[in-house]
Amino acid sequence: MIKVSVNGEMKEIEKNLNIKQLIEVLEYKQQGFAIAVNTTFVSIKKYEQTIVNDGDTIDILAPVQGG
Amino acid sequence: MHQDSWEIGGKTLTSRMLIGSALYPSPANMEEAIKESEAQIVTVALRRQSAGDGGGNNFWDIIKELNINVLPNTAGCHSAKEAITTAQMAREVFGTNWIKLEVIGDQYNLQPDPFETVKAAEVLIEEGFEVFPYTTDDLVVAKRLANVGCKILMPWGSPIGSGQGLMNPSNLKAIRKQFPELKLIVDAGIGKPSDAVEAMQLGYDGILLNSAIALAQDPVKMAKAFKYATQAGRLGYEAGTMQEREFASPSTPTIGTPFWHQFK
Repeated sequence: MIKVSVNGEMKEIEKNLNIKQLIEVLEYKQQGFAIAVNTTFVSIKKYEQTIVNDGDTIDILAPVQGG
Repeated sequence: MHQDSWEIGGKTLTSRMLIGSALYPSPANMEEAIKESEAQIVTVALRRQSAGDGGGNNFWDIIKELNINVLPNTAGCHSAKEAITTAQMAREVFGTNWIKLEVIGDQYNLQPDPFETVKAAEVLIEEGFEVFPYTTDDLVVAKRLANVGCKILMPWGSPIGSGQGLMNPSNLKAIRKQFPELKLIVDAGIGKPSDAVEAMQLGYDGILLNSAIALAQDPVKMAKAFKYATQAGRLGYEAGTMQEREFASPSTPTIGTPFWHQFK
């Protein structure tokens, strides 16, 4: 198991998961969000080839109101 | 009422008012206010989403149904790097290359950081974004942004959410004069419909506002007021205002005035 931060919350997940698998494990079902790993944007196209590492910081952002 | 068309970011629009989607008393009120404003651009943002929200996004569903242009912002970013990442994420989520670039340099008055804003704008333009940079009314910063390829500039009227109107109309005027070819939007600080009129009379192409409508006692009615104010200001600019004079000058003809100097 490894530890990662997801939206500021520490989570324990299995080793060698890619982003697509991480989303499933975290039970994110909805479309319409975008992901950054360690403050770098990861596009949908790269979800499967991006492996989550111990200590990574993951941000999952979705639309909200804005001015 | 006046409905001229104009172009910004590759789109032809009739409304010159850009409206925010935050701070309304309810989502229904936001929807009604945006419709009443007849704005064709609405600003939105990105924030962390928890897995529990996965069942649906009511806010985003409402915005999509409005079928108008979405302008995502980078609000809350304090560095070029953060703003660039947020813009890239917004492009994927919202399906647009438009980005309202906000890099805040001071937490007290939410003044944009000109150095980081220019740095981010340069990178984003290279990456194919249409950058709508939120900036101060500083002419030199405006020049820097234009030099890196910005076709749109959005100087503030006054600090975000302050409702203080146009703090420095002469600076805004100087930017308009210097950049006749750029699209200029007064963004932030507009509080009253008369502020919108003033901005439009300066020859600005549009205004961007949120708090002035959302925090009004009746946001829907205020949205309508700003729609007319924006149109009135634009008409006034196009019509060309009279020259101010030092002294009074009668408007009613003096020739034929009865009792001329008869009463002593």
